[in-house]
Amino acid sequence: MATDSLRIYTSAKWQKAFERLNGAEPGIQGLLSFSEAWQIASNFLYPRDINDPGSLKSQDMQRVRAAFDLVGKSRMLSMLLDKFLEDMRRQQYLVERDVHRYMAEYESAGKAEAIMQLIFRLVAWYNAWKPINELGPTILSAYTLAFQTHIFSIFPPSFSRGFKQLIASTFDLVSASSPPPWAIPRDLPPTEQPPRPDYMLWMSCETLGLLERYESLISSVCYEHIEAHVHETCAKKWDEPMLPKLRDWMTEKIVPWMIMPYARGARSADEARAMLQGVGSRFDYHVCKTLCDLRIQEIFDIIIDYPDSQSALQDLKVASSRPGLDDINVIVDRVRRRLQECLQRVDQRSQLVITLRKANKKRLLHPGADTKVILAQYVSIIRCLRIIDPPGVLLYKVADPIRKYLRGRADTIRCIVASLVGDGESGDSLVDENEPIQPLQQMQADDYTDPNWEPEPIDAGPDFRTNKPSDVISTLVSIYDSKDLFVKELQVLLTQRLLAVKDGNYERERRNIEILKIRFGEAALQVCEVMLRDMTDSRRIDQHVQAQKPMPLHPTIISKHFWPPLQTNSFTMPGQFREIQESYAREYHLFKPDKKLHWLSHLGTIKLEIELQDRTISEEVPPLEASIVELFSQKDTWTVDQLVTEFKSVEKTAILKALTTWVDLGVLKEEESDRYKLLEVAEAVPSRSKAPARSAPVVEETTHTLSAQQQQAEQMKVFWKFIEGMLTNLGTLPLARIQAMLKFAPGYDRTIEQLAEFMEAARREGLVQVKDGMWKLCR
Amino acid sequence: MKVHIKHWHAIAQWRWDIGKNDDDDDGEGDVCGICRVPFEGCCPSCKMPGDDCPLIWGECTHVFHMHCLLQWIGTAASKQQCPMDRRPWVTAERKVDAGNPR
Repeated sequence: MATDSLRIYTSAKWQKAFERLNGAEPGIQGLLSFSEAWQIASNFLYPRDINDPGSLKSQDMQRVRAAFDLVGKSRMLSMLLDKFLEDMRRQQYLVERDVHRYMAEYESAGKAEAIMQLIFRLVAWYNAWKPINELGPTILSAYTLAFQTHIFSIFPPSFSRGFKQLIASTFDLVSASSPPPWAIPRDLPPTEQPPRPDYMLWMSCETLGLLERYESLISSVCYEHIEAHVHETCAKKWDEPMLPKLRDWMTEKIVPWMIMPYARGARSADEARAMLQGVGSRFDYHVCKTLCDLRIQEIFDIIIDYPDSQSALQDLKVASSRPGLDDINVIVDRVRRRLQECLQRVDQRSQLVITLRKANKKRLLHPGADTKVILAQYVSIIRCLRIIDPPGVLLYKVADPIRKYLRGRADTIRCIVASLVGDGESGDSLVDENEPIQPLQQMQADDYTDPNWEPEPIDAGPDFRTNKPSDVISTLVSIYDSKDLFVKELQVLLTQRLLAVKDGNYERERRNIEILKIRFGEAALQVCEVMLRDMTDSRRIDQHVQAQKPMPLHPTIISKHFWPPLQTNSFTMPGQFREIQESYAREYHLFKPDKKLHWLSHLGTIKLEIELQDRTISEEVPPLEASIVELFSQKDTWTVDQLVTEFKSVEKTAILKALTTWVDLGVLKEEESDRYKLLEVAEAVPSRSKAPARSAPVVEETTHTLSAQQQQAEQMKVFWKFIEGMLTNLGTLPLARIQAMLKFAPGYDRTIEQLAEFMEAARREGLVQVKDGMWKLCR
Repeated sequence: MKVHIKHWHAIAQWRWDIGKNDDDDDGEGDVCGICRVPFEGCCPSCKMPGDDCPLIWGECTHVFHMHCLLQWIGTAASKQQCPMDRRPWVTAERKVDAGNPR
């Protein structure tokens, strides 16, 4: 039902179109010439099979250009393009065939060369089908887009794997002197040399748009390459800083490589630098991160190796806190880097803490590890983490489990104290000689008026204590809440050493005490001071006494209340020993009229010379041994029971041990069980053969003093009397009540927890029973 | 057999000779009636025991750390009396029985 207006409209449109095609030519001349031009142009553009040499274009370029001109003038180029693309779509199977062929080759051989050949082949297709440049950028880009879309759609999944392999091989390619044959297209004229070995490869990829499409893949290849390199060069190498080396490697190897994929279009060095900056800092960051991860994995062993591994720690510090190229100074970049740095720090640091804690738990904090080893490792951890993180947040987090564990070990204090005074046997003490000796540091509140005050680091936990970097000993001592325990243990240790000193040389001990005074304060070590003075006084007194009356006895005279409780099983020395003691005491009393001596006969050592009929024996023995041999000089034969009655307070085992000493030395002989006889004349065979076999020194390191623990147990015995008393009188009592009443007892300083432990121990021994929290004696 | 002692390193404790001859080892020892610290310890104002912090004997047979007693005597409230029995304090002359301490 065409109306008139529609009819008019249609005819006008037709007229217009006709005029566009016909131009100003008379008749349909223009139309004819257009149709010819269209024919030529579309024929020219028609995508041909490049495998078929006959179909190659051999048109007269003059005519083709004229034809395109005409089509362009008639504004039919878009129609032409549509037709061209349509033709292309129809011819696609040709390309597809090639792609499948090369991919099959790749999949069977697994070599990246096949992918390279595929790419060159595709470039050849691309170039063959490419319309001439005169048609303008629109058509060219439409063509490129269509071509790329097409090839991407026909790539099988294995292509990305192959492409990745190919990219990975470019790292070697970039440094090759000349490109291997597979990296240049076959049809490249031999005269034309590419500027770089990998030039053709990258340019081909660029042409096909592979670089854009696989950008993330390319960077991931580079990441992997970096990782592999870092692991290869840096693993277990802690003796030199690796980060600078890695950076050098980046500039030497990776940056030249990066120019092709990331800065192809750069015309000058500056331009290239600007183009590389973003991606460069990403890679640099990755180097840092990889190194960081590696070092974190190795951190436990690094700490063991400290201080040889100091460089590795420096790396870790730098790498974990300052990623980014040094020369970046653009503001925007800096802001971004800051952000990155923070993120980095936070997640890497927690990673470090987790890893180290796990390693410690697995390798350190178990019953198989010696306390000394744990302490040494703890000290190393302190030193190491202080390098990485001066504020000490990491240290606090890592150290916490170690400290808890150490607190649970019985011999921790002794170990620390032993290293404090530089126990000779271990060789390397925990304390660094060069570290300045400081007083123990107490926790201090933040001083907000300090202009250099800084807030706690963001990842510090709520219970993080801002302790200023303190010295190692302070940290060790702070494992325990009070330092009294240390002082007590120190006293015990000092006692052992002082009583063992024979040549009167206390300089070492004096020096130690002076050092410790600085640490623990004058008052805490007052007792030790008295001990040292007792030593010097003893010497002075002895010199005086010897001048009056020379005697072989050289006692150390101690002030009872200032020395740790000594073992109390003293006895009366027999014979000449007693005489000497008494005469010495007399001389002493003359010298110090208001004082007298009380001998601790069981302590000390005596050097004896025993003159027998056929031989003399020289030996240094403890007093009990000496007393026994003295008894034998009065009477040839003694039974053990007789000896036990002779030394009232000495245990039978001790006497037996002393007897054995002399038997081993061939002085006594066990005639029958528990009956010993003096050998005036050596019994040739059996004892002689025995004598050299015994190599252990007669004078053992007898511990004169009770350890702090034994002392506590000793004290608890006293308190048990109290507890027993109150339970007898009052029947049943709750723990809190017992504790409250014990508080009245002199010297009672236990916590209720300790009391609970003690009561529990008593219950196990069947002394008390507990019901509903009420304690009661068992009867 | 003859046993010769070449060298004897012994250990002894010193005690004040306060006239009592109880040689019990485990006795805690007497304490000063003023500061309640054992005689062999030192008075609260001293650091070193022994000759630096000697004892003082009264004719009333009471014994104190010298420093403790002098401080007490120095106060007006003491009226120069022994703090134990409120008799006038007279320092005893210590006669040293040179020949035989026991």
